[in-house]
Amino acid sequence: MGTMGLALPWETRISFVPREREMRVEPSEDLTVRPIETAAPAARTLPVSEDAELAARCRAGDLAGYERLYALHGARMKNVARNLLGNPIDAEDAVQETFLKVQRGVASFRGQSSFVTWTYRILINTCYDARRSRQRKKEVANDDREDSPRPEPRAPGAHPALRMALERALATLTKHQRDVFLLYEVEGFHHAEIAGMLEITETASKNTLFQAKRNLRQMLEPPRGSTVAGAR
Amino acid sequence: MNIKCEDRDRIFENGTPAEWAALEAHSASCLSCAEELRGWKALSVRARELRDYSDMPSLWPRIERALTEEAATRKRRAERWGWLSVGFGLSLGWQTAAAAALVVILTVSAGWIYWHRTGPAPIGDQSLLKSPALAEVERAQTAYEQAIDKLAAEAKPELENPATPLQASYREKLLVLDSAINDLRAQAGMNPSNAHLRQQLLAMYQEKQQTLQDILEEKR
Repeated sequence: MGTMGLALPWETRISFVPREREMRVEPSEDLTVRPIETAAPAARTLPVSEDAELAARCRAGDLAGYERLYALHGARMKNVARNLLGNPIDAEDAVQETFLKVQRGVASFRGQSSFVTWTYRILINTCYDARRSRQRKKEVANDDREDSPRPEPRAPGAHPALRMALERALATLTKHQRDVFLLYEVEGFHHAEIAGMLEITETASKNTLFQAKRNLRQMLEPPRGSTVAGAR
Repeated sequence: MNIKCEDRDRIFENGTPAEWAALEAHSASCLSCAEELRGWKALSVRARELRDYSDMPSLWPRIERALTEEAATRKRRAERWGWLSVGFGLSLGWQTAAAAALVVILTVSAGWIYWHRTGPAPIGDQSLLKSPALAEVERAQTAYEQAIDKLAAEAKPELENPATPLQASYREKLLVLDSAINDLRAQAGMNPSNAHLRQQLLAMYQEKQQTLQDILEEKR
């Protein structure tokens, strides 16, 4: 990307995202009702002042500011990238490229959204670019496989079989459904943040999540009739 | 709040906390809603299987190195273009405007110099080249371009790695001249019979030739 491109696409496309956190309204696991904040510690959104301070440090070229950004969000950024791209090597490249793009574009960051949301938007756009680039290479190689992330082995979880089934099901969703599901359910972002990252409305984010979950349930759960039959 | 089974999907999509509470209360007595609610929650729990925040000790050093290198490159580039901003940190927009103004000034100056060097235009309409003359001009221009390209090839090492500030200035000047030449060639392409454009183009080529000669002389 040329240095003349001051009007960075990821910056100019920023829409207003309210910084106040919405409540993630979900049913609790024990069927008692409590609207829950996102559970993952790494999904913590920075307070506005800390976010602004981080942006200021990065704008000033303070390497420690970037290190702080990495300490707070690096692992989560890599997880987002890995789930979008399907393998850890591409994910690490995407995270590195994102930090470089933040460094190049932070001078033009105007604060319409939170700095962290802006950073994740860059990450997601970088992952989209990487996916497109991979798709082009595949086309050149006459490979006609579908462009969905191909999951690679990762740290063993509690239920590897369930995880693999979920990954396979996710690969069949539309790109938007997959992205919203990953950002909301896996990473714990709020709809306002996802709207800012994917340049959609909050309502669209909620609707897409609903469609994604409905489709995933159809793929992952046996039809109710068969359960009943099995119970007999 | 009274919730019915038909409200379930709407609440899943965009329910308020109170509606969720009501749905959960409703599902205590509704097998179908209880099953749906269980499946909905199970998917959220299952999604956490895709969370892997494991340590990546090698990634930050890699990013840090890339950031440092990029910052150094940007600094060098800023220093190289510093003369354009006259040390006052002009924005890139102003620098672009200044470069454009410089191109205009160079074009006008070169035209003026050429005009006064060759004297006033002879009486009669010479502003349009006739076909045979045009072909001859184009042949000469092509030959001249090729000759200058050879000269540029000789000066290439100095231009690619300018050892002195003067060489760096020559390089910037050549960039400006090339830009002006490209503009003029485009205009001449649209209006090939315009002798005035050809003369301006010639003046630019002469300026470029002179600059390349200066570079080569400095080398010697």
